Amino acid sequence: MKTNLLNTRAKATVYAEVLLGAARVRNNVFDVAGQLDQLVAAVRGSIELRKALIDKTIPAAAKKGIVAEIFSSFAPELLTTFDVMVDRGDLSLLPRVRDTYVALAEKALGAAFVDVTTVVPLDETLREQIVTKYSAQLGRKVMLREYVDPGLIGGIVLSAHGKRIDASVSSQLESARHVLSKTV
Amino acid sequence: MKLRITSVARISVPVAAALMAMPAVAFAAEEGSSGIDLIFPTMSEFIPMLIAFIILWVILAKFGWPAFIGMVDKRAATIKDSLEKAETAKQESERILAERNAELAAAKKDATEIIANAKQQAEFVKADIVASAQTEAETIIAKARLAIENEKKAAIADLQASAADMTIAVAKRVIGTDLSTAEHKTIIQRYIAEAGSFNEN
Repeated sequence: MKTNLLNTRAKATVYAEVLLGAARVRNNVFDVAGQLDQLVAAVRGSIELRKALIDKTIPAAAKKGIVAEIFSSFAPELLTTFDVMVDRGDLSLLPRVRDTYVALAEKALGAAFVDVTTVVPLDETLREQIVTKYSAQLGRKVMLREYVDPGLIGGIVLSAHGKRIDASVSSQLESARHVLSKTV
Repeated sequence: MKLRITSVARISVPVAAALMAMPAVAFAAEEGSSGIDLIFPTMSEFIPMLIAFIILWVILAKFGWPAFIGMVDKRAATIKDSLEKAETAKQESERILAERNAELAAAKKDATEIIANAKQQAEFVKADIVASAQTEAETIIAKARLAIENEKKAAIADLQASAADMTIAVAKRVIGTDLSTAEHKTIIQRYIAEAGSFNEN
């Protein structure tokens, strides 16, 4: 008899595999990974959206309309998969689907997805520098998912496979503030 | 004074005195009736007087003298008893006085001991109170010093934290507003070169 955890993993894997198959058909695997990240962040950051999506009194068609309106720029295969998850009450599986999808996508593309956050958008020189350095480290092709966050003040934050390299000015200033406040 | 007198002595003393006085009185009356003779009786008077005297003496010796001696003896016995009683009372008084003096001395000794004990106890209590007060004072002082030290450390920590916050805030503002895009990219480029590896974690 399967436990709830195994059921959850199995369900998430099914959703991720279906989404990956559709994305591969549309040759959109990498972009869907980025959009899936944004979708997770949006659902996690909005209580109203979560409440609306799990409210059983709201018709499924209305929920689909809400999703289509908010995430209109996202890939159709992603929105379709998401609608099915909402219909079946599997919204809580979204982060696990995202992680499974990224793992499957990296395997399918033979690449490693690296999230890069900076204060200003990267130019080609910086991208090349990052890809070169971390392709050598990870032993495979690196595909960057770029984000801009002025809160970093400066520098760069990289994350991949649940690991994070924080070379931002804000974290260094925070370290300096900690040292200054503790020094007698 | 010897109060016990024998019956022989009681009779012989007045008889001897009477016999010694009688011849002188009798012969004085026979020598003449002028001058000094006038005061002495004549023989005719002397004999009856002597007989009367003897009869009187016998009667007194027989009845008066024993009563007198008895009264004297009784008086002597009374005085003796009184003296003995006085002596006994005196001895009793002396005994009682000695007892009272002893009791007084014992009481004085007890009082002295009680006072000494009280003084000693008071000294102990005083020393205890002084020691307790000193300990309490030292504890209060130590707590006050600790509180002052903690307050001082807290104030210094607050001051340092405020200074650090202010410094970092200024640094953030300066870096965030003064750096151009090119400068940001230069920093990013340098940090990429200096950043660690995913494999290290």
